[in-house]
Amino acid sequence: MTLYYLLYFFALPVNCIAMILVFIRIYKGPTVFDRIVALDLLITMGIGSIAIYSIITKQPLFLDVAMILALIGFLSTVAFSYYLEKRKDND
Amino acid sequence: MTDVIFIILCTIGSLATLVAAIGVLRMPDFYTRLSVTVKASTIGSGLLLVSAALYFSVPDVTNRAVAIVLFLILTAPVAAHMIGRAAYMGRTKLWKESQLDELEGMYDEDHHLRSEQPKKGEQEEDEKKADPQP
Amino acid sequence: MTNQLFTNIMLTLIWVMLSGNTSIPNFGFGFALGFVILYLTVRGIDNRRYFYRVPRMIRFILRYIYEMLKANLQVARSILMRRMDVAPAIIKYPLEAKTDFEITMLSNIISLTPGTLVMDISDDKKVMYIHTLYYKDKDSFIKYIRLNLEIKLLEVIR
Repeated sequence: MTLYYLLYFFALPVNCIAMILVFIRIYKGPTVFDRIVALDLLITMGIGSIAIYSIITKQPLFLDVAMILALIGFLSTVAFSYYLEKRKDND
Repeated sequence: MTDVIFIILCTIGSLATLVAAIGVLRMPDFYTRLSVTVKASTIGSGLLLVSAALYFSVPDVTNRAVAIVLFLILTAPVAAHMIGRAAYMGRTKLWKESQLDELEGMYDEDHHLRSEQPKKGEQEEDEKKADPQP
Repeated sequence: MTNQLFTNIMLTLIWVMLSGNTSIPNFGFGFALGFVILYLTVRGIDNRRYFYRVPRMIRFILRYIYEMLKANLQVARSILMRRMDVAPAIIKYPLEAKTDFEITMLSNIISLTPGTLVMDISDDKKVMYIHTLYYKDKDSFIKYIRLNLEIKLLEVIR
């Protein structure tokens, strides 16, 4: 029982606050690289909160979503950085 | 016993995630942000996934969670390396209190990275070869 | 070497299939069982290298986890302090590792240690540029990486 209290009132709110802080960085970020790093961090946090949520609802199927999210996060970061490196005019 | 391990893992995982977020908000320039963020978030999500694996303790779920953790550990440094390299080529500034930058001026025109600074004489010879008219 | 590793994995799979329990601890137990069986059956001094290498690898992984936790605590402390005590720098690090596989493993390990990050590797694979958060002086940093990570890693995979 304490386990659910821990997850509901500690782990999920902490993750939520962390996500809000990352959104502030996405809004402020001076360069486009800062925003990409923040988005990557956001995806990793999403994986963590999916893990918490799958424990709360006792649905291990959610872990599949986490796996796909990890793949997409990695591929999108690599694609973004490849594009920014090959771009002609770096502003 | 399992509950205690579970509680410890969940708490440390959430706090590591929070530290990563505060780090990305507070750090002064791009490279410090990058080098703080990637590992802390990997450790945070990894611990939460391991606690999920311990909670279900069914073989297929456990294997899946361990696979996700291994994938995160393998891919996070690669992604950090690629984005850091792109940022350096895009001339993102270092923090003004940075101590030393030995990478400065090491990339040549075609984005190849040298290991030594080219010597003065060789460079002038190269320029002469490229430009025959005096 | 490769042959013995392959035999060990095959023995593990046979154990897991026969016992019908596909959990992670059972895989570990099967691997340990196969290791003991190989140790008892293999003759000759030349074939013994595998048995030194596996315990060394396990010790390396444990030691690496310890280093990672220590560095993580340091980074967390310097994030949460009011005045951050970071002194970032990019340092040129001459490589001992030669092949692509060794360089990849080394850069992965360096990047996963908090506070250090591999920026790039030169085209002729001689030096590596590392971004660090806690810069004191160049020689002590290079010595730290070489003694704690590179030599230990090369002992394991060479």
